[in-house]
Amino acid sequence: MSGSNGRQPAIEVNGLTKVYSGGVEAVKGVTFDVAHGEVFGLLGPNGAGKSTTIGMLTTTVSPTSGTARVAGCDVVTDPIGVRAASAVVFQDPVVDRPLTGRRNLSIHARLWGVARAEVEARVSEVAARFGLVDLLDRAVETYSGGQRRRLEIARSLISRPRVLFLDEPTVGLDPRIRFELLDVIGGLRDAGAMTIVLTTHYLDEAERLCDRVAIVHEGRIVALDTPRALLGQLGHEIVELRIDAPGEPLLAFLRERALVGEGAFVLGSTLTLPRRGTPSRDLFAAVDDFGAAVIAVTTRPPSLDDVYLNLTGGRLPAAA
Amino acid sequence: MTTITAPLDLRSTTRAAASRPARWSVFTTLSRRRFALSAHTPREILVPLLTPILFADVIAPALAKSIPATRGIDYQSFVAVGTIGLLVPLSCILGGIGMIVDRESGAQRDLLAAPAPRSLMVFGNLTVALAVSLFQVIALIGASAARGSTFSTDVSGWLWAVAAVVGLATFMHGLAEILAARIKKQEEYVGVAPPVALLPWFLAGSFFPISAMPAVLTAIAKVLPVTHVLALLRYGVVDDNGHGLHDIWGMSNTTAMATLSLAVVGVFAAAVLALSTRVFTREAIS
Repeated sequence: MSGSNGRQPAIEVNGLTKVYSGGVEAVKGVTFDVAHGEVFGLLGPNGAGKSTTIGMLTTTVSPTSGTARVAGCDVVTDPIGVRAASAVVFQDPVVDRPLTGRRNLSIHARLWGVARAEVEARVSEVAARFGLVDLLDRAVETYSGGQRRRLEIARSLISRPRVLFLDEPTVGLDPRIRFELLDVIGGLRDAGAMTIVLTTHYLDEAERLCDRVAIVHEGRIVALDTPRALLGQLGHEIVELRIDAPGEPLLAFLRERALVGEGAFVLGSTLTLPRRGTPSRDLFAAVDDFGAAVIAVTTRPPSLDDVYLNLTGGRLPAAA
Repeated sequence: MTTITAPLDLRSTTRAAASRPARWSVFTTLSRRRFALSAHTPREILVPLLTPILFADVIAPALAKSIPATRGIDYQSFVAVGTIGLLVPLSCILGGIGMIVDRESGAQRDLLAAPAPRSLMVFGNLTVALAVSLFQVIALIGASAARGSTFSTDVSGWLWAVAAVVGLATFMHGLAEILAARIKKQEEYVGVAPPVALLPWFLAGSFFPISAMPAVLTAIAKVLPVTHVLALLRYGVVDDNGHGLHDIWGMSNTTAMATLSLAVVGVFAAAVLALSTRVFTREAIS
């Protein structure tokens, strides 16, 4: 996808690959663009290659092959340009715990080139926005997990980056703080002032925040589209059947009878079946014919979870 | 409960993004950060001074009672200067723990994402190593003088001494950076690093002239930077005749010998520092 207004994309990734020493191929030639002001989600399980991709885009991991440009700067030939234009909130805490919140913020501001005379105003601004004013002069080691996370996000914004990388930003937060942070990220998205790349396990976050989502599995992007388009692949309604036996044989049976399509998948004894015009009575009749006992039936609209589980399930090699 | 007042003032983010910061600004920020982490309690400021003061007030005078003088230098002053060959390496090497803490706490990742050459992280840490080393040397010399040691008042002599201390601290800090980059755990580092600081000190003529050792050990001592540092220090502040320098070089011109020894220290310091920035960058980026 090119820039929404004809400009160069904020991020251009082309065939990016990372092979760690020992031969572990963490990222296998991913390609995508992110437009200015877009919120782009990287979704995938642990070990999928999301954080390695973020690492290469933030120049903390060196690519094995491929190219990537952030804010027009190449990650290999102009890493300082990339870092000057971007900020990152890492998955794990990275603040200096013995220092105060104020000191952490001001150090970060100075490292990212904020003028000395402007630092205090910026610290006050982000502290006010993130509810940190009363905590600023306390050592960070006395903060709760949620407070520390807010400090890290505030710190990343103090340099007013053009591109913000958020690597699992809400992991470990209590629900209230999590939703408040989602509001903040949503506010950034709505203003279109900043390009955001977000990795997350929480599919509801991606659905709520992201303009487009890339589903990453075993180092490859297996789907890339808007949440709406991804959901559209599964039709308008999902039927979930929980039976008294492993679900794989029943799914195979239903496929033989052409009652379910490609989007159907199994987790244990639960079948998730997108409805594509098949009458429910035909479906239940087939289950009866198979001889399985249905324990529970649910119908609901498809979610990004269904897309994710479908794509990262047993059929993945074909999808990739 | 504290709440987040969303949304942010997003107009601010539409303004020009932060430009590439000046290297000097990044360097001073990194140095200040390391100072703040190394000396954020009075204990962390005072403890490094305790060892030099105890050496100067207890050990050196006690040894001087048994050995009144060596080569015309009062032994208390001789040993006080020799102690610098232990203090500086030890404090620099132990400073490497801070770098491992940075890595284990995650702080290093954030610094690596900063828009500046990564070698500045090594130089920022070096500033603190130099400051702590000079601080300890001043405490040692001050306490020794208070106990009756006699030191030269010649400015040029002190310049030789300061240059030697700076060279030694730079060399040892470089070693600390290399070790900290290669050793993954603090526990492992604490086991490995102190011998790196201590072993050369035993051979470097700290308590006696290197010529008093067997020839093999004397030959080894001559290639150790700390031997040159101690010879320079003694030449600068307690021994105008430069006996230590003569033990190394065997020449008659003390200024030439001092220059050669300073060059040796400088080459070691520059080489190890360059290697340390390379190792740090290579190890920090996967």
